[in-house]
Amino acid sequence: MSADTLNLAAEGGGGLFTPGGPGFEAPSVGIFFPSPWVDYDIPMTSGITKYAVLLAVASGLALLFLWWTSRKQSLVPNRSQSIGEIFFLFIREQISRPMMGVKGDKYLPLLISLFIFVFAMNIMGIIPFLQLPVTSNLSYPVGIALVVYVTFIVVGIRSQGGVGKYLKGAVVPSGAPGWILPLLVPIEIISNFLIRPATHAIRVFATMFAGHLLLATFAAAGWYMFNPAAGPLFGTISVLFSGASLLAFVVFTAFELVIMFLQAFVFTLLAALYIGQAQEAH
Amino acid sequence: MEGSLNVIGYGISVIGAGIGVGIVFGMGMQAIARQPEARGPLQTNIYIGFALIEALALLGFVLAFAI
Repeated sequence: MSADTLNLAAEGGGGLFTPGGPGFEAPSVGIFFPSPWVDYDIPMTSGITKYAVLLAVASGLALLFLWWTSRKQSLVPNRSQSIGEIFFLFIREQISRPMMGVKGDKYLPLLISLFIFVFAMNIMGIIPFLQLPVTSNLSYPVGIALVVYVTFIVVGIRSQGGVGKYLKGAVVPSGAPGWILPLLVPIEIISNFLIRPATHAIRVFATMFAGHLLLATFAAAGWYMFNPAAGPLFGTISVLFSGASLLAFVVFTAFELVIMFLQAFVFTLLAALYIGQAQEAH
Repeated sequence: MEGSLNVIGYGISVIGAGIGVGIVFGMGMQAIARQPEARGPLQTNIYIGFALIEALALLGFVLAFAI
C-alpha cells in the first residue's frame, strides 16, 4: 500500500471511510510494557503488571497438568496417566536420549519442567482474554536461561573434575595447532559463555514478541476497518476487509500455536544439548 | 514517510537467515527421504541447525529495536 493510499485511509478513518475520523495506528512496542496494577516503588522493579499475573496463571496451569497426569499412579495407566506417559516419552525419546544418552536420564525432571513451563508461558499469548505471552518480556526467558546456564556449568565442573579441566575442555578445541589458539580461544569463550545464554533467552523472547505484534496488528486493523455505517458500497467493502483481517488473525493464531510448541521444544532441546556437551569429556 | 532505517536493514539481513533455514530443512527432508530409518537423529539435528541459524535473524530483530 503506497503512502497516498495510507493517507487516504487515514483521512477517511474512524473506522475506515469515515470522513474526518482518526487514522489507523498500528500497535507499537508499548503493548509489551503494561502499566502496573500495584506499584510498590522499588527501583528496578515494575510492580505487579499483567505479566506477573499471567506468570502465576502459567505456573498454575503447568502444575495442574503435572498433578493431573501423575496422581493415582498404577502399573496399568489410566487415561490421565497415559497422557503424562506420552509426554514423558516424547521428552525422553526426542530430546534427552539423542542429546545426552542414557546417562542424561537424571536431568529428565529438569527438562520436563523447562518444556512445560516455557510452553505454558508461551500459550498465554493465544488464550482468549489473557492474550499476552509471558515470554514476550525479556526478563522471564532470561531467568530460565540463567537456570540452564548455571546448571550446565555446574554439571561440567562436576563431571570433568575441577574448574580448570572443565574450562580447558570447553574453550580449547582439541587437535587445533598451537599457533591458532590465541585466535580460537577468545572466540570459543565468547560463543560458549556469552552468546550461548544470550541467544538461548533471546530466541524464545523474539519469536513471541514478533508473533504477538503480528496478531495485535491484525486485530487492530480488523477493528479499525469494521465500519458498516459508511454507506451501502463502502460499508460492504469495509466489512469484507475486516473479515479478511479476522480470517488472517485466526490463521496466524493457529500458526502461533505451532510456533509456541516449536520454541518450547527448541528451548528444551538446546538446554539438553548444553548439559550433554558439558557432561562428556572433550 | 516516517520510520526507521533499522527495519529495512533488518529486512535485508534476514534474507541470509531465510536462505539458511531453507537449506537446513530442504537438506534435512532430502536426507530423511534417502534414509527414512535415520529419521530420529536427523530430525533432532535439523532442529539444532535451525535454532542456530535462527539466532542470527533474532539477534538482528532485537538490535533493530534496541539501537
